[in-house]
Amino acid sequence: MPRSLSPLSVPYRVFQRGGGIVVFLAFAVGGGVTLPGLGPAGPLVLVGVALLAVAALVGYEVAYVRRFSYELAAETLDIDSGVFSRRSREIPLRRIQNVDISRNIVQRGLGIAVVSFETAGGGETEAQLRFVTFDEAKRLQRELARLKRGGAVESGSEAVATDEGVSVDEGVAGGGRPSTATFAEPESTELFALDRSELAILGALSVDFRVPGVLFILVSTVGSTVIGNYLESVPGLALAVVAVVLVVAVALVSWIAGAAASIIEYYGFRLVRSGDELQYERGLLQRYDGSIPFDKIQTLTIADNPLKRYFGYATLYIETAGYTPGSSGAGGRGSEAAIPLAKREHVLELVEELEPVGDVSFERPPKRARRRYLVRYLLVVAVFAGALYGVSALLSLPFPWWISLSLLPVAVLFAHLTWRNRGHWLGEHHVVTRNGVLRRETKIVPYYRIQTVIDSRSVFQRRLGLATVTVDTAGSLSLGGQDAAAVDVSSARADELREELEARLGRAVDAYRSGRAGIGIADEYNSEAGTNHNEEAGTHGGGDSGEATGTPESQGDER
Amino acid sequence: MNRLDPRIRILWIVRSILTAAVLAGIVLGVSRFVDPTWLPGWLPAAVFVGVGGLGVAFAVLRYRAWRYEVREDSLYLERGVLTRVRTVVPFVRIQHVDTSRSPTERLVGLASTVVYTAGSRGADVSVPGLTPSDADDLRERLKRLAIRSEGEDAV
Repeated sequence: MPRSLSPLSVPYRVFQRGGGIVVFLAFAVGGGVTLPGLGPAGPLVLVGVALLAVAALVGYEVAYVRRFSYELAAETLDIDSGVFSRRSREIPLRRIQNVDISRNIVQRGLGIAVVSFETAGGGETEAQLRFVTFDEAKRLQRELARLKRGGAVESGSEAVATDEGVSVDEGVAGGGRPSTATFAEPESTELFALDRSELAILGALSVDFRVPGVLFILVSTVGSTVIGNYLESVPGLALAVVAVVLVVAVALVSWIAGAAASIIEYYGFRLVRSGDELQYERGLLQRYDGSIPFDKIQTLTIADNPLKRYFGYATLYIETAGYTPGSSGAGGRGSEAAIPLAKREHVLELVEELEPVGDVSFERPPKRARRRYLVRYLLVVAVFAGALYGVSALLSLPFPWWISLSLLPVAVLFAHLTWRNRGHWLGEHHVVTRNGVLRRETKIVPYYRIQTVIDSRSVFQRRLGLATVTVDTAGSLSLGGQDAAAVDVSSARADELREELEARLGRAVDAYRSGRAGIGIADEYNSEAGTNHNEEAGTHGGGDSGEATGTPESQGDER
Repeated sequence: MNRLDPRIRILWIVRSILTAAVLAGIVLGVSRFVDPTWLPGWLPAAVFVGVGGLGVAFAVLRYRAWRYEVREDSLYLERGVLTRVRTVVPFVRIQHVDTSRSPTERLVGLASTVVYTAGSRGADVSVPGLTPSDADDLRERLKRLAIRSEGEDAV
């Protein structure tokens, strides 16, 4: 039976769109705008026109909501919409990757939500329901998962519970959440919840690097004349002090901005495993509820920076095809972390549960690669010093440009660290790569998810007999545009990797077809809907004897 | 290992000469109408010769570097002058295959085959410089191979 949108969406949609009219009217009437040839009746006419516009808008929105209907059928999601031009869509359920629910403060007050359905195609959201009640949104999310699973089993060996027992699941961190959230799946278990202290640490560790840029633009456009005058009246040493203070201040502001943003973003974060889906929810002002089906996972990325590494924390990103949950695609959301911050062991446990990788021992690039990095960073220092020298010579400021030469040891250290943190590893079912120092990313790609293998060798790399092997997946490129890549491996190793990855992809595809596991999800359908995760994780490893699961047995069920 | 049709060199050379001509034209226009004093009179010619020469050299080198091969399970490409790139496209991952003929390609009597995967690098994989019949052959062959090894879902 086709369903329609929540009636409450009419007033919300009207206010959303009609805000502009009200503002215009306020300005026009308050500012005493006189229409030519109307005399004192001008404001009245204006008000009349505005009322007409509002009436038209209300009419349109009522018609939109009334003519919008959707239905979750056995195989497809059918959506009929449109006031003037009608549009009927049937989206095959199997193609739907994610179902996301988002609610801002007003929507939460009204009890309505936006539901977005994502498919692999394109960067755009496939379909959006604006707006349905929150309960209905949760029902859709649940039903969709159920239907998909039902479709996948086919033989019907797994009796899917059709009645939705309402088990009120008030989470640890579900502060602002209405208690109507229901997870009917009996086997839904909480994998991870961000508690207060972790949220605080997350805030403390996030720095908004956009702030310095914005400030720089502001200063360079607005304050250039002021600063110019100021510079002339200050002696050199004091200038250096001022510069240091400025840098500290900018750092502080970026830090506070970053902290505030990430606390708002990740307040009350929890990750729930529900059958063969991951469900997450987060947000202080705007709440997000999303789902990630296991079998659509393309890449897992563990990211950290020196600070997080020192304190033993890490971030986990989960990419699905063409879309990363939480990326700017639907509704302009900011970040895409699946786990914003957790103890490293915790992240590794979760990774092990999603993709049983086992013990990873990275193979570093050959030592000669280090020379490249050294040359690269020394060049950066040289350019920096040159620029400073040029500035001090041109402006005839007594600025000590040679201070920048003190960066030389830093460059040497950095080159070594770059080399140290780089590596790749071929596992039973996954290829794992690691790159970066300040933002280190460990990417885990199941062989089954490889799309193409690209081996590239620049002029400089060829001189040293090095190559970069990139593994392209269907995952989105939202994470700074970096694919999983084994950077600066020796040429011979690159040739080997190319052949090996292709062969292993072939084997993974064969294994997948013959029903044998290999990418985590295939077991899910067959395994009894176990209440214990250890068992399920055990079947992953047990499916292939060679799987070296070197993680602690205690999985992250309860925290 | 297959090589491209030698005529592709003509196409690339003509293209780079055209680019050089356009650039030189812009410089010429600037020197004619704006006429900055620091701009030497021989610059447009220098730009044409420099850019054109570089383009021609690159076209020849690019032709020499290009190789492709339809292997048992994958399409293998090797190309690039400064950065040598070798790409392996497994047939399982091919979404669809196009042949395309741009106006300049039609002029020389050539065509290209473009292979699409679901990868984030999209339509990165194209084989230029094929005769139209070769391009169609390659397309058909890749299509057959892709269908033969088709998976549940290629994503």
